[in-house]
Amino acid sequence: MTAGPAESTLAAADFDTLSGGLTEPEAIAVARAAAWARFTSLPWPTKKSEEWRYTDLTKIGFEALTPVVPAPATAEALSADVREVLGRSGERAGVVVLREGRVAHLELEPEVARSGVVLSSIRDAADRHPEVLRRALLEAQPGPAEEKLWALHLALLGGGYFLYVPRGVEMPAPIHAFHVVERAGTLSSAHSFVYGESGARAAVIDEFFSDDLDAETVSLHGATITGEGGAGIDYVALQRFGRGVKRFSTQHVVAGRDSRVVTFNVALGGDLSRADVTSRLDGPGSDSEMLALWFGDSDQHFDHHTLQHHAAPHAHSDLLFKGALTDAGSSVFRGLIRVDKGAQLTDAYQTNRNLLLSERSHASALPNLEIEADDVRCSHGATIGQVEDGQLFYLMSRGLTRRQAERLLVFGFFDEVLGRLPMEGVRARVREAIEEKIGL
Amino acid sequence: MSEPLLSIRGLRAKVEGEDGEILRGVDLDLERGEVHALMGPNGSGKSTLAKVIAGHPAYEVTAGEILFEGEDVLELEPDERSRAGIFLAFQYPAEVPGVSIANFLRTAVNSRLGEGEEMDVFGFQRTLTEKMEMLKMDPGFAARYLNDGFSGGEKKRNEILQMAVLRPALGVLDETDSGLDIDALKIVASGVNRLSEADEALGVLLITHYKRILNYIRPDRVHVMMAGRIAESGGASLADKLEAEGYDWLHRAVAAV
Ligand SMILES: Nc1ncnc2c1ncn2[C@@H]1O[C@H](COP(=O)(O)OP(=O)(O)O)[C@@H](O)[C@H]1O
Ligand SMILES: [Mg+2]
Repeated sequence: MTAGPAESTLAAADFDTLSGGLTEPEAIAVARAAAWARFTSLPWPTKKSEEWRYTDLTKIGFEALTPVVPAPATAEALSADVREVLGRSGERAGVVVLREGRVAHLELEPEVARSGVVLSSIRDAADRHPEVLRRALLEAQPGPAEEKLWALHLALLGGGYFLYVPRGVEMPAPIHAFHVVERAGTLSSAHSFVYGESGARAAVIDEFFSDDLDAETVSLHGATITGEGGAGIDYVALQRFGRGVKRFSTQHVVAGRDSRVVTFNVALGGDLSRADVTSRLDGPGSDSEMLALWFGDSDQHFDHHTLQHHAAPHAHSDLLFKGALTDAGSSVFRGLIRVDKGAQLTDAYQTNRNLLLSERSHASALPNLEIEADDVRCSHGATIGQVEDGQLFYLMSRGLTRRQAERLLVFGFFDEVLGRLPMEGVRARVREAIEEKIGL
Repeated sequence: MSEPLLSIRGLRAKVEGEDGEILRGVDLDLERGEVHALMGPNGSGKSTLAKVIAGHPAYEVTAGEILFEGEDVLELEPDERSRAGIFLAFQYPAEVPGVSIANFLRTAVNSRLGEGEEMDVFGFQRTLTEKMEMLKMDPGFAARYLNDGFSGGEKKRNEILQMAVLRPALGVLDETDSGLDIDALKIVASGVNRLSEADEALGVLLITHYKRILNYIRPDRVHVMMAGRIAESGGASLADKLEAEGYDWLHRAVAAV
């Protein structure tokens, strides 16, 4: 049986139509059924809630979308566009291609597989590693305002990949995953599951893309990223959807004792792009770096919500989100550092910087702290500014047009964040995607 | 082509939105292949003139004209003037963190290409390396962020590097010599001389405070700016007189007018 949209719209769907008549692993079936029940019982959040004040979910025609039902993995050859990107992206340990969530291609370097690393579809993982999967999904309980979308994401779960890196294994290169959306008018979902046992090292880049689509299309994404003691995980989400796509990504990091987890979100495409990124500093000495860049033009809207949740003492988190907007682009940053009572000696930083290139662009920045411990070092700050006239004139006096000069200044503005991306190959790929979007 | 490379007539300018005139009727002709020194006390308007020539938006021209190769440039944007062949080496170049010199210069060279023209990447790299050698710059310099944390001397050298790569028809060098020690001054001066040798039509307007650089770059003409006007023009020997006697005699002469 091949994957395909369910016969009905979301409004007319019930759990059976969403299952597409497929047998699926018990762990997934149970989780999906519960999620569907929750989804149908919850109201859509409105602009009255703080979390959705600047992004109006009620304007999206979810009910009219055609949900893509979970489907088994297929083994297709790599398409030309994916091969092209891979050819320019440096070394990698494996490749996953997902089409509307369904795994269409999956490969892992044999040597890496021999070291015990598992890369599979979520469905296969549910058969073989149900406990790990269940725990990670349970731990990623979002706040009340995110619950509706998260329930929908889980109800459609079945798409996505599972990366498991055993104790002490260091992956030599990243996994490059491509999330492709091809069909206009669909609602699809995919999950990125990354788990590193103690001392493991892993790196992943999730690249999301589509053509410009001529009907409203929604792509849901969830990521659960777990690092056990001393693990090191780098996770990059590069979103370059075409117009017509609205995407919602919920990412949940759990950083164990002395582990270090880096997340890097890049938003370039789509009509609307929302990411909820949570890092839970779960073990003493854990370290989480949260980075993001976005560039919005036309009437694109980007919305980033973050939570740095310090649940353990002696942990460090550092967030740097930078966005640039032109035309009537708009963005929201809403970030919270939460320090639990027992999380003494927390070191937490949160910075959001915005660069506006046009009169009509608009950025909102809402950084926040919630601290219950008394011996902590925390700082948060946000700025919204324009390019400096002196810099602009200097660049233009060398022949750069105003547009070129502005775009080069955006690059300079982004460089600080790009420079913190640990993997050279991935950095080059991200830089290239940004260049393509900015159009220097 | 009989018209001068640069011809400034009755130029008056002020800071946009403010009252006092800074340039109060400047006249100056510079022929192709000539080097003119523009001297004068602090605050007399030399940098303002340089920036007005380059099209700085902070200044408003209230009267007069600037003809470059016979064309009125006052209506041109700064980038159009640059592509037309005007180059300003800034007295205080802007710092642009995050943008490397190489990336910046590549974009600047690209901006000069016509529609559909492709840049010769290797050719660019070769030119850049060659010009950096000429200015005795460390090869790693091009990877540094534009002027970010540069010493005064590094900034000045970087300006001349850009001029060497962009090859303008007119270089306006605003106090490129100040803040340079004697070795750096010689390197920069010989760089400018090499550019003049390579392009016999290159015109240079050398703004300076000190006679020192004129020992290395021989001017064809020397002008002295006082209170927004060219108060005196002469041959190279005028610089010697200024060195020996200062500006006082000119102050008195201007006051007497
Ligand atoms: N952007 C500006 N805003 C205000 N005043 C200015 C500005 N630029 C120049 N001036 C004033 O104009 C006069 C000439 O300055 P400038 O052209 O820098 O002189 P010079 O380069 O000969 O030392 C000075 O009094 C200076 O303060
Ligand atoms: Mg000056």
